[in-house]
Amino acid sequence: MGDSQYSFSLTTFSPSGKLVQIEHALTAVGSGQTSLGIKAANGVVIATEKKLPSILVDETSVQKIQALTPNIGVVYSGMGPDFRVLVRKSRKQAQQYYRLYKETIPVTQLVRETAAVMQEFTQSGGVRPFGVSLLIAGYDDNGPQLYQVDPSGSYFSWKASAMGKNVSNAKTFLEKRYTEDMELDDAIHTAILTLKEGYEGQISSNNIEIGIIRSDREFKVLSPAEIKDFLEEVE
Amino acid sequence: MECVIGVVGRDFAVVAADTSAVQSILVHKTDEDKVMVLDSHKLMGASGEPGDRVQFTEYIQKNLHLYQFRNTIPLSTAATANFTRGELATALRKNPYMVNVILAGYDNDVGASLYYIDYIATLHKIEKGAFGYGSYFCLSLMDKLYRPDMTKEEAVDLVDKCIKEIRLRLVVAPQNFVIKIVDKDGAKEYARREYISDSPPDAAPVSEA
Repeated sequence: MGDSQYSFSLTTFSPSGKLVQIEHALTAVGSGQTSLGIKAANGVVIATEKKLPSILVDETSVQKIQALTPNIGVVYSGMGPDFRVLVRKSRKQAQQYYRLYKETIPVTQLVRETAAVMQEFTQSGGVRPFGVSLLIAGYDDNGPQLYQVDPSGSYFSWKASAMGKNVSNAKTFLEKRYTEDMELDDAIHTAILTLKEGYEGQISSNNIEIGIIRSDREFKVLSPAEIKDFLEEVE
Repeated sequence: MECVIGVVGRDFAVVAADTSAVQSILVHKTDEDKVMVLDSHKLMGASGEPGDRVQFTEYIQKNLHLYQFRNTIPLSTAATANFTRGELATALRKNPYMVNVILAGYDNDVGASLYYIDYIATLHKIEKGAFGYGSYFCLSLMDKLYRPDMTKEEAVDLVDKCIKEIRLRLVVAPQNFVIKIVDKDGAKEYARREYISDSPPDAAPVSEA
Protein backbone atom coordinates (compact mmCIF):
# COMPACT_ATOMS: atom_id res chain seq x y z
CA MET A 1 0.00 0.00 0.00
CA GLY A 2 2.72 2.46 0.95
CA ASP A 3 4.91 1.85 -2.12
CA SER A 4 2.30 2.38 -4.78
CA GLN A 5 2.40 5.54 -6.85
CA TYR A 6 -1.31 5.91 -6.29
CA SER A 7 -1.39 5.39 -2.56
CA PHE A 8 -2.15 9.03 -1.85
CA SER A 9 -5.75 9.94 -1.20
CA LEU A 10 -7.77 10.79 -4.32
CA THR A 11 -9.83 13.18 -2.26
CA THR A 12 -7.39 15.98 -1.66
CA PHE A 13 -8.41 19.53 -0.79
CA SER A 14 -8.75 22.08 -3.53
CA PRO A 15 -7.41 25.61 -2.84
CA SER A 16 -10.98 26.77 -2.19
CA GLY A 17 -11.28 24.30 0.68
CA LYS A 18 -13.50 21.80 -1.12
CA LEU A 19 -13.12 18.11 -1.71
CA VAL A 20 -13.90 18.01 -5.41
CA GLN A 21 -14.45 14.26 -5.52
CA ILE A 22 -17.24 14.61 -2.98
CA GLU A 23 -18.82 17.38 -5.03
CA HIS A 24 -18.73 15.07 -8.06
CA ALA A 25 -20.23 12.28 -5.97
CA LEU A 26 -23.08 14.58 -5.01
CA THR A 27 -23.57 15.33 -8.70
CA ALA A 28 -23.86 11.61 -9.33
CA VAL A 29 -26.50 11.49 -6.61
CA GLY A 30 -28.30 14.48 -8.06
CA SER A 31 -28.65 12.82 -11.42
CA GLY A 32 -29.96 9.59 -9.90
CA GLN A 33 -33.60 8.60 -9.73
CA THR A 34 -35.68 10.51 -7.21
CA SER A 35 -36.16 9.00 -3.77
CA LEU A 36 -37.84 10.41 -0.68
CA GLY A 37 -38.77 9.71 2.90
CA ILE A 38 -41.40 11.00 5.33
CA LYS A 39 -41.45 10.55 9.09
CA ALA A 40 -45.01 10.26 10.42
CA ALA A 41 -46.20 10.28 14.01
CA ASN A 42 -46.49 6.49 14.05
CA GLY A 43 -44.00 5.32 11.46
CA VAL A 44 -41.76 6.15 8.50
CA VAL A 45 -42.22 5.71 4.75
CA ILE A 46 -39.48 5.72 2.10
CA ALA A 47 -40.08 5.52 -1.62
CA THR A 48 -38.29 5.73 -4.94
CA GLU A 49 -38.88 5.66 -8.67
CA LYS A 50 -37.95 2.38 -10.27
CA LYS A 51 -37.33 3.35 -13.92
CA LEU A 52 -35.74 0.42 -15.68
CA PRO A 53 -33.59 0.76 -18.81
CA SER A 54 -35.92 -1.40 -20.91
CA ILE A 55 -39.32 -3.06 -20.72
CA LEU A 56 -37.52 -6.36 -21.11
CA VAL A 57 -35.95 -6.09 -17.66
CA ASP A 58 -37.61 -8.32 -15.05
CA GLU A 59 -38.71 -5.64 -12.55
CA THR A 60 -39.28 -8.17 -9.76
CA SER A 61 -35.54 -8.84 -9.69
CA VAL A 62 -34.72 -5.21 -8.92
CA GLN A 63 -34.93 -4.23 -5.26
CA LYS A 64 -33.95 -0.65 -4.62
CA ILE A 65 -35.32 -0.52 -1.08
CA GLN A 66 -33.58 -2.90 1.32
CA ALA A 67 -33.88 -3.85 4.98
CA LEU A 68 -30.74 -3.45 7.06
CA THR A 69 -32.27 -5.01 10.18
CA PRO A 70 -35.83 -6.11 10.94
CA ASN A 71 -36.58 -2.58 12.11
CA ILE A 72 -34.42 -0.44 9.79
CA GLY A 73 -34.74 0.04 6.02
CA VAL A 74 -32.87 2.11 3.46
CA VAL A 75 -33.36 3.66 0.02
CA TYR A 76 -30.87 5.54 -2.16
CA SER A 77 -30.31 7.91 -5.03
CA GLY A 78 -27.22 7.47 -7.16
CA MET A 79 -25.19 4.44 -8.17
CA GLY A 80 -26.89 1.14 -7.50
CA PRO A 81 -23.73 -1.00 -7.16
CA ASP A 82 -22.27 1.40 -4.57
CA PHE A 83 -25.55 1.10 -2.67
CA ARG A 84 -25.30 -2.68 -2.59
CA VAL A 85 -21.82 -2.50 -1.05
CA LEU A 86 -23.01 -0.13 1.68
CA VAL A 87 -26.05 -2.27 2.44
CA ARG A 88 -23.77 -5.28 2.85
CA LYS A 89 -21.42 -3.42 5.18
CA SER A 90 -24.23 -1.90 7.26
CA ARG A 91 -25.95 -5.24 7.70
CA LYS A 92 -22.72 -6.73 9.00
CA GLN A 93 -22.21 -3.83 11.40
CA ALA A 94 -25.72 -4.29 12.76
CA GLN A 95 -25.09 -7.99 13.34
CA GLN A 96 -21.74 -7.33 14.99
CA TYR A 97 -23.48 -4.97 17.40
CA TYR A 98 -26.05 -7.64 18.16
CA ARG A 99 -23.36 -10.24 18.73
CA LEU A 100 -21.64 -7.96 21.20
CA TYR A 101 -24.63 -6.79 23.22
CA LYS A 102 -27.48 -9.17 22.32
CA GLU A 103 -29.54 -6.05 21.70
CA THR A 104 -30.69 -4.62 18.36
CA ILE A 105 -28.65 -1.67 17.24
CA PRO A 106 -30.28 1.74 17.80
CA VAL A 107 -31.05 3.57 14.54
CA THR A 108 -28.74 6.49 15.34
CA GLN A 109 -25.80 4.18 15.91
CA LEU A 110 -26.26 2.27 12.65
CA VAL A 111 -26.52 5.59 10.83
CA ARG A 112 -23.35 6.79 12.53
CA GLU A 113 -21.40 3.65 11.66
CA THR A 114 -22.58 3.70 8.02
CA ALA A 115 -21.64 7.36 7.77
CA ALA A 116 -18.22 6.52 9.23
CA VAL A 117 -17.67 3.97 6.45
CA MET A 118 -18.59 6.54 3.83
CA GLN A 119 -16.22 9.06 5.41
CA GLU A 120 -13.37 6.53 5.39
CA PHE A 121 -13.65 6.35 1.62
CA THR A 122 -13.01 10.10 1.44
CA GLN A 123 -9.77 9.84 3.35
CA SER A 124 -8.15 6.57 2.29
CA GLY A 125 -5.62 5.77 -0.40
CA GLY A 126 -6.70 4.47 -3.77
CA VAL A 127 -10.46 4.58 -3.20
CA ARG A 128 -13.21 6.92 -4.30
CA PRO A 129 -16.26 8.16 -2.36
CA PHE A 130 -19.55 6.27 -2.68
CA GLY A 131 -21.80 7.71 -5.38
CA VAL A 132 -24.98 7.42 -3.30
CA SER A 133 -26.95 9.32 -0.71
CA LEU A 134 -28.96 7.11 1.60
CA LEU A 135 -32.28 7.64 3.33
CA ILE A 136 -32.35 5.38 6.39
CA ALA A 137 -35.73 4.77 8.03
CA GLY A 138 -36.08 3.01 11.35
CA TYR A 139 -38.23 2.55 14.42
CA ASP A 140 -36.65 1.89 17.82
CA ASP A 141 -37.04 2.93 21.44
CA ASN A 142 -36.63 6.55 20.34
CA GLY A 143 -39.63 6.25 18.03
CA PRO A 144 -39.73 6.62 14.23
CA GLN A 145 -36.62 8.15 12.68
CA LEU A 146 -35.45 9.21 9.23
CA TYR A 147 -31.83 10.00 8.40
CA GLN A 148 -30.04 11.07 5.22
CA VAL A 149 -26.38 10.08 4.75
CA ASP A 150 -24.29 11.79 2.07
CA PRO A 151 -21.16 10.62 0.20
CA SER A 152 -19.07 12.83 2.47
CA GLY A 153 -20.25 10.89 5.49
CA SER A 154 -22.33 13.70 6.94
CA TYR A 155 -25.76 12.70 8.16
CA PHE A 156 -28.92 14.61 8.98
CA SER A 157 -32.15 13.74 10.69
CA TRP A 158 -35.20 14.72 8.65
CA LYS A 159 -38.93 14.97 9.14
CA ALA A 160 -39.26 14.64 5.38
CA SER A 161 -36.70 14.77 2.62
CA ALA A 162 -36.00 13.94 -1.00
CA MET A 163 -32.91 13.21 -3.09
CA GLY A 164 -32.00 12.73 -6.72
CA LYS A 165 -33.19 14.33 -9.98
CA ASN A 166 -36.32 16.03 -8.74
CA VAL A 167 -35.01 17.04 -5.33
CA SER A 168 -35.96 20.73 -5.29
CA ASN A 169 -39.51 20.29 -6.57
CA ALA A 170 -40.06 17.32 -4.30
CA LYS A 171 -38.78 19.17 -1.24
CA THR A 172 -40.98 22.17 -1.98
CA PHE A 173 -43.96 19.86 -2.36
CA LEU A 174 -43.11 18.10 0.91
CA GLU A 175 -42.67 21.39 2.77
CA LYS A 176 -46.19 22.36 1.80
CA ARG A 177 -47.75 19.02 2.61
CA TYR A 178 -45.90 17.94 5.75
CA THR A 179 -47.60 18.14 9.14
CA GLU A 180 -46.16 17.06 12.48
CA ASP A 181 -49.08 14.84 13.42
CA MET A 182 -49.34 13.01 10.10
CA GLU A 183 -50.37 9.38 10.34
CA LEU A 184 -48.38 6.82 8.35
CA ASP A 185 -51.13 6.17 5.80
CA ASP A 186 -51.35 9.92 5.08
CA ALA A 187 -47.60 9.98 4.74
CA ILE A 188 -47.72 7.13 2.21
CA HIS A 189 -50.29 9.05 0.14
CA THR A 190 -48.13 12.18 0.32
CA ALA A 191 -45.07 10.17 -0.72
CA ILE A 192 -46.89 8.82 -3.77
CA LEU A 193 -48.15 12.29 -4.71
CA THR A 194 -44.64 13.70 -4.37
CA LEU A 195 -43.21 11.00 -6.64
CA LYS A 196 -46.04 11.59 -9.08
CA GLU A 197 -45.21 15.30 -9.29
CA GLY A 198 -41.87 14.78 -10.95
CA TYR A 199 -42.55 11.48 -12.68
CA GLU A 200 -41.96 11.43 -16.43
CA GLY A 201 -44.57 9.08 -17.75
CA GLN A 202 -47.31 7.11 -16.09
CA ILE A 203 -46.78 6.06 -12.48
CA SER A 204 -47.84 2.50 -11.67
CA SER A 205 -47.37 -0.15 -8.98
CA ASN A 206 -44.52 -1.67 -10.98
CA ASN A 207 -42.36 1.40 -11.49
CA ILE A 208 -42.17 2.73 -7.94
CA GLU A 209 -41.00 1.08 -4.72
CA ILE A 210 -42.30 1.88 -1.24
CA GLY A 211 -40.97 0.73 2.12
CA ILE A 212 -42.72 1.36 5.43
CA ILE A 213 -42.17 0.78 9.11
CA ARG A 214 -44.98 1.11 11.61
CA SER A 215 -45.03 1.00 15.41
CA ASP A 216 -44.79 -2.80 15.15
CA ARG A 217 -41.16 -2.07 14.24
CA GLU A 218 -41.10 -4.39 11.24
CA PHE A 219 -39.71 -2.87 8.09
CA LYS A 220 -41.40 -4.09 4.97
CA VAL A 221 -41.25 -3.35 1.28
CA LEU A 222 -44.77 -3.07 -0.12
CA SER A 223 -45.76 -5.54 -2.80
CA PRO A 224 -47.02 -4.22 -6.16
CA ALA A 225 -50.54 -5.23 -5.10
CA GLU A 226 -50.30 -3.16 -1.91
CA ILE A 227 -48.87 -0.21 -3.86
CA LYS A 228 -51.79 -0.52 -6.27
CA ASP A 229 -54.25 -0.11 -3.39
CA PHE A 230 -52.54 3.06 -2.19
CA LEU A 231 -52.31 4.38 -5.76
CA GLU A 232 -56.03 3.90 -6.22
CA GLU A 233 -56.75 5.75 -2.98
CA VAL A 234 -54.66 8.64 -4.22
CA GLU A 235 -56.35 8.91 -7.58
CA MET B 1 -12.09 -18.71 49.77
CA GLU B 2 -13.77 -15.74 48.19
CA CYS B 3 -17.52 -15.38 48.31
CA VAL B 4 -19.85 -13.21 46.25
CA ILE B 5 -23.62 -13.16 46.86
CA GLY B 6 -26.41 -11.51 44.89
CA VAL B 7 -30.14 -11.07 45.52
CA VAL B 8 -32.73 -9.12 43.53
CA GLY B 9 -35.94 -7.51 44.72
CA ARG B 10 -38.62 -5.85 42.59
CA ASP B 11 -36.88 -2.51 42.22
CA PHE B 12 -33.46 -3.06 43.76
CA ALA B 13 -30.61 -5.57 43.77
CA VAL B 14 -28.08 -6.39 46.46
CA VAL B 15 -24.51 -7.59 45.83
CA ALA B 16 -22.30 -8.60 48.73
CA ALA B 17 -18.75 -9.90 48.74
CA ASP B 18 -16.14 -10.76 51.31
CA THR B 19 -13.33 -8.24 51.70
CA SER B 20 -10.38 -10.55 52.27
CA ALA B 21 -7.28 -10.44 50.06
CA VAL B 22 -5.57 -13.78 50.60
CA GLN B 23 -2.47 -15.37 49.11
CA SER B 24 -1.77 -18.95 50.26
CA ILE B 25 -1.72 -18.75 54.07
CA LEU B 26 -1.29 -14.99 54.28
CA VAL B 27 -4.10 -12.44 54.59
CA HIS B 28 -2.83 -9.31 52.84
CA LYS B 29 -5.78 -7.17 53.91
CA THR B 30 -9.28 -7.53 55.28
CA ASP B 31 -10.90 -4.53 53.59
CA GLU B 32 -10.48 -5.21 49.86
CA ASP B 33 -13.55 -3.95 47.97
CA LYS B 34 -14.51 -6.55 45.37
CA VAL B 35 -17.83 -5.04 44.33
CA MET B 36 -17.06 -2.55 41.60
CA VAL B 37 -19.46 0.28 40.73
CA LEU B 38 -19.50 0.04 36.93
CA ASP B 39 -21.60 3.12 36.37
CA SER B 40 -24.36 5.08 38.07
CA HIS B 41 -26.73 2.11 38.10
CA LYS B 42 -24.63 -1.04 37.87
CA LEU B 43 -22.65 -3.17 40.32
CA MET B 44 -20.22 -5.97 39.54
CA GLY B 45 -19.16 -8.26 42.37
CA ALA B 46 -16.19 -10.35 41.28
CA SER B 47 -14.17 -13.23 42.72
CA GLY B 48 -11.19 -15.16 41.45
CA GLU B 49 -7.55 -14.61 40.50
CA PRO B 50 -6.71 -11.23 42.10
CA GLY B 51 -4.89 -9.70 39.12
CA ASP B 52 -7.52 -10.90 36.65
CA ARG B 53 -10.34 -9.69 38.89
CA VAL B 54 -9.16 -6.08 38.97
CA GLN B 55 -8.03 -6.09 35.35
CA PHE B 56 -11.25 -7.54 34.03
CA THR B 57 -13.70 -5.47 36.07
CA GLU B 58 -11.83 -2.26 35.22
CA TYR B 59 -11.84 -3.26 31.53
CA ILE B 60 -15.60 -3.73 31.61
CA GLN B 61 -16.07 -0.48 33.50
CA LYS B 62 -13.99 1.50 31.00
CA ASN B 63 -15.79 -0.03 28.03
CA LEU B 64 -19.11 0.94 29.62
CA HIS B 65 -17.89 4.49 30.05
CA LEU B 66 -16.63 4.60 26.45
CA TYR B 67 -20.02 3.48 25.17
CA GLN B 68 -21.70 6.18 27.20
CA PHE B 69 -19.30 8.86 25.94
CA ARG B 70 -19.77 7.79 22.33
CA ASN B 71 -23.51 7.35 22.37
CA THR B 72 -24.70 9.65 25.20
CA ILE B 73 -26.85 6.83 26.58
CA PRO B 74 -25.70 4.17 29.06
CA LEU B 75 -25.65 0.52 28.11
CA SER B 76 -28.54 -1.51 29.55
CA THR B 77 -27.87 -4.13 32.22
CA ALA B 78 -28.74 -6.96 29.85
CA ALA B 79 -26.43 -5.62 27.16
CA THR B 80 -23.67 -5.20 29.75
CA ALA B 81 -24.12 -8.80 30.87
CA ASN B 82 -23.91 -10.09 27.31
CA PHE B 83 -20.92 -7.91 26.56
CA THR B 84 -19.14 -9.18 29.67
CA ARG B 85 -19.92 -12.77 28.77
CA GLY B 86 -18.63 -12.13 25.24
CA GLU B 87 -15.31 -10.81 26.55
CA LEU B 88 -14.88 -13.82 28.82
CA ALA B 89 -15.78 -16.15 25.97
CA THR B 90 -13.35 -14.55 23.53
CA ALA B 91 -10.48 -14.79 26.00
CA LEU B 92 -11.41 -18.27 27.14
CA ARG B 93 -9.58 -20.30 24.51
CA LYS B 94 -6.50 -18.11 24.50
CA ASN B 95 -5.84 -16.38 27.78
CA PRO B 96 -8.77 -16.94 30.12
CA TYR B 97 -9.83 -14.54 32.84
CA MET B 98 -10.21 -16.58 36.03
CA VAL B 99 -12.97 -14.31 37.31
CA ASN B 100 -16.53 -15.06 38.41
CA VAL B 101 -18.98 -12.19 38.33
CA ILE B 102 -22.35 -11.28 39.77
CA LEU B 103 -23.70 -8.31 37.82
CA ALA B 104 -26.57 -6.22 39.20
CA GLY B 105 -28.21 -3.25 37.53
CA TYR B 106 -31.24 -1.01 37.45
CA ASP B 107 -32.87 0.08 34.18
CA ASN B 108 -35.85 2.40 34.08
CA ASP B 109 -37.81 0.23 31.67
CA VAL B 110 -36.95 -3.16 33.16
CA GLY B 111 -36.37 -2.53 36.87
CA ALA B 112 -33.67 -4.35 38.79
CA SER B 113 -31.92 -7.39 37.32
CA LEU B 114 -29.20 -9.79 38.40
CA TYR B 115 -26.84 -11.85 36.25
CA TYR B 116 -24.54 -14.79 37.03
CA ILE B 117 -21.44 -14.96 34.81
CA ASP B 118 -18.77 -17.52 35.60
CA TYR B 119 -15.16 -17.70 34.41
CA ILE B 120 -15.98 -19.98 31.46
CA ALA B 121 -18.56 -17.46 30.20
CA THR B 122 -21.73 -19.05 31.43
CA LEU B 123 -24.47 -16.44 31.56
CA HIS B 124 -27.67 -16.75 33.56
CA LYS B 125 -30.27 -14.21 34.52
CA ILE B 126 -31.07 -15.02 38.13
CA GLU B 127 -32.98 -13.83 41.18
CA LYS B 128 -30.42 -15.06 43.69
CA GLY B 129 -26.96 -16.53 43.34
CA ALA B 130 -23.54 -16.95 44.86
CA PHE B 131 -19.96 -17.87 44.01
CA GLY B 132 -17.25 -19.55 46.05
CA TYR B 133 -17.28 -22.18 48.80
CA GLY B 134 -19.73 -19.94 50.62
CA SER B 135 -22.26 -20.69 47.89
CA TYR B 136 -22.64 -24.20 49.26
CA PHE B 137 -24.20 -22.67 52.35
CA CYS B 138 -25.82 -19.57 50.88
CA LEU B 139 -27.74 -21.11 47.99
CA SER B 140 -29.79 -23.41 50.18
CA LEU B 141 -30.40 -20.62 52.69
CA MET B 142 -31.61 -18.36 49.87
CA ASP B 143 -33.77 -21.12 48.39
CA LYS B 144 -35.53 -21.39 51.73
CA LEU B 145 -35.85 -17.74 52.68
CA TYR B 146 -35.96 -15.72 49.41
CA ARG B 147 -39.19 -14.15 48.21
CA PRO B 148 -39.55 -12.06 45.02
CA ASP B 149 -41.34 -9.21 46.83
CA MET B 150 -38.74 -8.67 49.55
CA THR B 151 -38.01 -5.20 50.80
CA LYS B 152 -34.47 -3.88 50.95
CA GLU B 153 -34.29 -4.54 54.66
CA GLU B 154 -35.49 -8.12 54.26
CA ALA B 155 -33.00 -8.73 51.46
CA VAL B 156 -30.10 -7.36 53.50
CA ASP B 157 -31.30 -9.52 56.40
CA LEU B 158 -31.11 -12.54 54.11
CA VAL B 159 -27.59 -11.57 53.08
CA ASP B 160 -26.68 -11.16 56.76
CA LYS B 161 -27.92 -14.66 57.47
CA CYS B 162 -25.71 -15.93 54.63
CA ILE B 163 -22.73 -14.06 56.04
CA LYS B 164 -23.40 -15.50 59.48
CA GLU B 165 -23.49 -19.00 58.04
CA ILE B 166 -20.25 -18.49 56.09
CA ARG B 167 -18.48 -17.16 59.20
CA LEU B 168 -19.69 -20.04 61.27
CA ARG B 169 -19.37 -23.06 59.01
CA LEU B 170 -16.67 -22.40 56.42
CA VAL B 171 -13.17 -23.44 57.47
CA VAL B 172 -10.78 -20.48 56.93
CA ALA B 173 -13.81 -18.30 56.43
CA PRO B 174 -13.59 -14.66 55.39
CA GLN B 175 -14.80 -12.56 58.28
CA ASN B 176 -15.47 -9.16 56.76
CA PHE B 177 -17.98 -8.31 54.02
CA VAL B 178 -19.19 -5.36 52.00
CA ILE B 179 -22.81 -4.96 50.95
CA LYS B 180 -23.81 -2.72 48.04
CA ILE B 181 -27.27 -1.94 46.69
CA VAL B 182 -28.47 -0.63 43.32
CA ASP B 183 -31.94 0.88 42.86
CA LYS B 184 -33.56 3.67 40.89
CA ASP B 185 -31.47 6.21 42.77
CA GLY B 186 -28.19 4.58 41.87
CA ALA B 187 -25.54 2.14 42.98
CA LYS B 188 -23.84 2.68 46.30
CA GLU B 189 -22.33 1.00 49.32
CA TYR B 190 -24.94 0.07 51.86
CA ALA B 191 -22.92 -1.37 54.73
CA ARG B 192 -19.82 -3.20 55.84
CA ARG B 193 -19.92 -6.19 58.14
CA GLU B 194 -16.69 -6.29 60.11
CA TYR B 195 -15.62 -8.94 62.50
CA ILE B 196 -11.92 -8.32 62.42
CA SER B 197 -9.83 -5.29 61.58
CA ASP B 198 -6.38 -4.56 60.15
CA SER B 199 -5.62 -1.83 62.62
CA PRO B 200 -2.99 -2.56 65.29
CA PRO B 201 -5.04 -2.26 68.51
CA ASP B 202 -7.28 -5.14 67.40
CA ALA B 203 -4.67 -7.21 65.61
CA ALA B 204 -2.34 -7.91 68.46
CA PRO B 205 -3.48 -6.86 71.91
CA VAL B 206 -0.53 -6.14 74.17
CA SER B 207 -0.78 -7.70 77.58
CA GLU B 208 0.73 -6.15 80.66
CA ALA B 209 3.83 -7.94 81.85
